[in-house]
This record gives sequence, structure tokens and C-alpha cells, in this order.
Amino acid sequence: MRVKAIWQYGKVYIILLIGLIILSVIGWRAMGQQSFVRTALSGLTLGALYFMVAAGLTIIFGLMDVLNFAHGAMFMIGAYAGWQFYTNPTFLFGLAPLVLALVAGIVVTPLIQPLAMRWAVPARWQRTLRAVVIVVAVILIIVALLGLDVRGLAKTAMVATMVDPLAEATPQEPLAVFWKRPLLFFLAGLLIALAQARPGDRTQVIRSGAAPRAIVALVGFVLLTVAATLTRESGAISVLKMNADARFFLSLAAGALIGAGIGAAIEISLVRPLYVRPTFLILATMGLSFVLRELTQLLWDPLPYAMSRPPLFSQPGKAASILEWFSKHTLTVEIMGVTFPSYRLFIIALGLAMFILLMLVMNYSRLGMTIRAGVQDRDMVEALGINVRRVFTLVFALGAGLAALGGIGAAPFAPVEPVMGDRFQMQGFITVVIGGMGSYSGAAIGALLLGLARAFGDFLALKFSLTPAVSEASTVIIMALVLLLRPAGLFGKKE
Amino acid sequence: MDAILQVENIHTFIGQFHILQDVSLTVERGSITVLLGRNGAGKTTTLKSILGLTPPSEGRVIFDGQDIRGRRAFEIAAMGIGYVPEHRAIFRDLTVAENLKIAERRRGDLDRKADFIFGLFPDLKRLYRLPGNHLSGGQQQMLAIARALVPDNKLLLIDEPSNGLAPVLIEQMMEAIRGLSATTTVLLVEQNFIMASQLAQAYYILDDGKTVHSGAMADLVKDKALIHRYLGAVGESVGGER
Repeated sequence: MRVKAIWQYGKVYIILLIGLIILSVIGWRAMGQQSFVRTALSGLTLGALYFMVAAGLTIIFGLMDVLNFAHGAMFMIGAYAGWQFYTNPTFLFGLAPLVLALVAGIVVTPLIQPLAMRWAVPARWQRTLRAVVIVVAVILIIVALLGLDVRGLAKTAMVATMVDPLAEATPQEPLAVFWKRPLLFFLAGLLIALAQARPGDRTQVIRSGAAPRAIVALVGFVLLTVAATLTRESGAISVLKMNADARFFLSLAAGALIGAGIGAAIEISLVRPLYVRPTFLILATMGLSFVLRELTQLLWDPLPYAMSRPPLFSQPGKAASILEWFSKHTLTVEIMGVTFPSYRLFIIALGLAMFILLMLVMNYSRLGMTIRAGVQDRDMVEALGINVRRVFTLVFALGAGLAALGGIGAAPFAPVEPVMGDRFQMQGFITVVIGGMGSYSGAAIGALLLGLARAFGDFLALKFSLTPAVSEASTVIIMALVLLLRPAGLFGKKE
Repeated sequence: MDAILQVENIHTFIGQFHILQDVSLTVERGSITVLLGRNGAGKTTTLKSILGLTPPSEGRVIFDGQDIRGRRAFEIAAMGIGYVPEHRAIFRDLTVAENLKIAERRRGDLDRKADFIFGLFPDLKRLYRLPGNHLSGGQQQMLAIARALVPDNKLLLIDEPSNGLAPVLIEQMMEAIRGLSATTTVLLVEQNFIMASQLAQAYYILDDGKTVHSGAMADLVKDKALIHRYLGAVGESVGGER
């Protein structure tokens, strides 16, 4: 009885585990320990990165039925943001005040809503009025950026060398010239807030408690804007003076936060109005990914950049074991008879840590509980008094943040380039299909399978001098096999 | 007379379909009111329209003195309306404990109400750590009702609680709902006329998306012709099997 129950709920795991063990034994015998371990570790590295892309995709799809084609772009943006922050954060510090000022303007919506809705705007003009206000806001933003050398700021990291990072820190505009820009951005934010308040639309409900929260947010963001404006130069320099390892971990955090912030902004502005039109949503997110790719190309040229590894993973020599690496921080580590780059082991660890963190969040937090419930029945969650729309924004931000984190993790060993997201996005989608839409543990297993298949495929291709297309085909073959046997994916509930 | 809910001439469209075409009803505080009618008469849509899950395009919905039409479902629910949907829509991937926990509106709601809930449904205490998909149909229905009891709701909308349950369980369900009405108000949708007639004090009959009849339950039970006309086979099962 008990055995039967275990089989019932764990058969997918059991079959996969047995299959992997059999394949490992065959591989070990046929390839020899060295090549086997090296290939398996490479596969795990890839798998960890695929997981970080796929985890967000699968949760977003499971909860909101949105296929986010801009997810790869989030990965790419994460890589760029992390690379910028690590090599030379002048660009990020230069633009931070503008973004913060814009947000400070937008958060006042609940404050002007009670006034705006009382305006006597005829019903047929309301939509036009909102559009006009938005256009004016965009014009204000363009005016605010006039004369600001954005590309110059972006260039700083491109030419930076790790020998003397401070040498390339481009000075920012003096405050006497700069102060107008955040102000204009703030005004643009206010206009967007006005449009959001839907002037003349009396059917709106004013939520109690929204106004005090808006005041707190406004004060907070204004203070942040002022602080960011004043520390544009000193902030960047103090980051560069920091210990490089600390800066690396900070850049992981900064990249993930920037990714999450952009994710939230995308959800609110682009995805939210289109939930009722899923086809449009695919086109919109796909279009957005093109825009973001071209934008990075405009700023940083269509060139691949290499982010240098932090000293923690780049001391010359080889550690005899992982334990020894903790004291020596060498470039490579000897592991089961194989010399392997320590940074790749870090990526495997990062992927594993993300999986554990996600598992904890999904199983033990209120947000995770709400997501699991919402995957099954959104209306019922709403009927319990939970603001599902806000959960959507959070989940979108969480997914984008995870993808961005994967991007920074990848940056020190994969080239940072505008098209890097597209490759990982494709793999991410296949991972999600294999694992089952909406299941994060499915995404983990799928990522593991794909990563291993890719690495072993590459090994076979090299050994028998086949074309590298073999390893690329392996991905699709696995997907086809899984879909033949389980059309909903390994752990999928939705089809 | 003190009405907690007044629905005045609401119209609801789902896609192209004009499902509710002028529904009005009043629910007195502390009472059990039942919505009767054939399948497809608009009973479930009426509950969903009150809650804002399928927002009415016309009319007024006044709950506790405020017009709530056009508000979003979560805002309406948070004002104190609990919803028990048909087909025992509990969250199958969540444990019984989580199914109750997620319904908390304030921290500690569940701790405060635990004794009351387990008093009504002792089974749930035993099943507390099990996932929802391990529960039987009757246990799921109890959980669905229990979930609506976790926060302090002023009004419960309960959709076909007896649907697909064994007679013994229907008895238990009736006892539980009667127990509830001591502390809250219930608007019930029920096809099982025996259950409806024994529980409710007031009734509304819906037909083709309109309220066609209403009154005190005691009067309806006597009016066999009316029952037959609007409830058909369902009404005939008075005293019969289910």
C-alpha cells in the first residue's frame, strides 16, 4: 500500500533517477572517469543557467497564462547590468536619479485620483485626454535627455580595465546642469500618474489607506532621487574602490534588483492591459524583446564583452579539493580527477541555491501559497480577498529577477552580447515544456536533462567528429520524446 | 427589517450572452435565503455578480450600506463576503491547513476561528496536514465551507453544497449551515429542495436570468403548483430520493 502510494506520486522521479543512473554507468565505463566527470560538470553548469531562465518562465505561465517572450531579454539585461556594475557603474549611477524621479512622480496616482475623477471631462474625451497626457510625458522625457551623453556613460565600462578601474570613470555632468533632468522626469512621472488617475471617470473606487501609503512612497522616492543625484559620481567611485569580491556579489544583487524592477514595470505597463488578449501579449512581449535588444546594441554596440571574474575565482594555480579552494580562491579546482574552473562550480551552486530558495518561497511563504493556489484557480483566490493583480506584478518581478540573476551569473564565462538572451530563452522555453508548464521542480529537472544532454552531445560530436548540430538536436529530441509520453510535460498539470 | 444585501435590477453579460436580465433580491441580516431555479437560470452567475467575479453592467448591489457594483472582487470579498463555489473548488495542491491559512485576512484569523471550525467539521482536524486532492468529495465540501469561515464574514455565498454528496453527508452539511446562521448571514444556491426548504426562511426563484418569484419559505412549501412550474423535476423530488 505504502509502496504503491510512493510509486503513484514519485514515478516520474524514480524512472528519471534510474534512467540517469544507467546512463551514468554506461557513460562512466565508455568515456572513462575524466571525460565523464568533466562533461557531467559542464552539463550541470548549463543546467543551472537554464533553470534560472526557465523557473521564471514557468511560474509566470502557470499563474498568468502569459508566455513571456521578453524573458530572454531580462537575462541579457541582467548580464549587462551586472557587467556594468562590476566593471564600471558610472552608467547605472548616472541614470539612477532619472528613473527614481520618474517613479516618484508615478506613485502619486492615489493622491490625485480623488480630484481627477471629479473633473468634468466628457466621456468621449477621456481616452483622448489620457493619450495626450502620456504623449506630453514622453516628450518631457525626451527633452530631459537632450544633451545628456548617455552613450558616453555607457562607454565607460567598455573601455574599463581591471588594472585601474578609476582611470576610466567618466566624470558626470555638473549638478548645475544636471538638476533639470530629474525634475523633468519627475514632472513626466506626475503626468503619467494623472493619466493613470483617469480624469473624469467617476466609476473608480477610492481605496482607503492608499493615500497615506502614496505619501510615504512619494517622500521615500523623492529622498532617494535627491540622494542618487548627489552621489552620482561619488557613489560610482566608492563602488569601484570596494573589494572586488564584494563588488561582484553586490553586482549580483544589483542586477537581480534591476531585472525585477524592469519586470514589474513591464507587467504594469505592457502586460496588464493585455491579459484579455493572449495573442497580443505574445506579440507585445516579443516586440519588447526586440526593442530591448536593439537598445542595448545602440548603447554598447553589437559586440561581445567579457566580464572578468572576481579575484575569488581567479587566483593562479589549482586547488586540490573544493575545501582547499575556500582558502586559496584559485582559478581551477581538482574534482574527482578533473581540473575544472571554480567559477563554473559557483554557477552550479548558485543554481542550486536558487532552486532551494524558490522551493522555500513556494512551499512556506504566503506568496508561494498564493501562487500555488492561483495556478489552479485565480478567481477563487481573488474571491478570498487577495489582490491577484498585485501578486501577478510580484511574480513577474520575481521571474525577471531570477532571469537577470542568471544573466549576471553567466556574464563572467559567456560573452555579454545583445543576442545572448535569445539563445537562453529558446532553451528556457524547451525546459519549461519538458518540465511541465507551471511546475518549478519540473523546470529544475528539465534544465538538468537539457544541460546534460547538451554537454554529452558536444562530447560525442567532438569524439566522433560529427557536426555540433548533434548536441543542439538533442534538446529537441528530448522534448519530442517527453511530449510523446507525457503531453503535459513531466510534472505538468496544464496542457 | 435590516437588509445586509440588496441587489437591484442587475444585468450581467458573459461574453456576448445576456445571462442576468434584471435580477433583484434582498437578504435580511442573520437569515438564510435560498436561490432556486432550473439549471442555467442564472443562480451561480448571480452569486458571482454580487462578488464582482462577473461584474454586472447595470443595476445596484448594496452590501452593508455601500454600493459595491464595479468594485474589484478582492475588494468586495475583503468587505466581509465569503464565497463557497460549486464543485467544491478547494485548492487541490494545498494542504488542508494551507487552504484555511490562505483565507486569512488578518494574521491570526485562523487561530481565533480554529475551535469554531473544528467544532462544525471535526474531520478537518484529523486531515489537517493532508493535501486537498487526498480528500473525499464530502471532506472537500466541508473544507470549502470552512475556508469561508476563517475571516469574519458578514455574508456567506454558498453554491450547491449538497451537490454530489451522500445523504448522510447532506444531513451533516445542513447541520453545519444551520449552525452558521447563528453568527452570520447565508445566501444559498441549492437544487436539493428538501435541504433548501428545511434551511431557508426566504426564497427567490430565478428563471431565464430574471427573478420571477419570492417570498417566505413556509408559503412556497405549500404551493405545489409553483414548485412544479419553476423547479420541475427538482421540485417533485420533495420527499423523494436524491
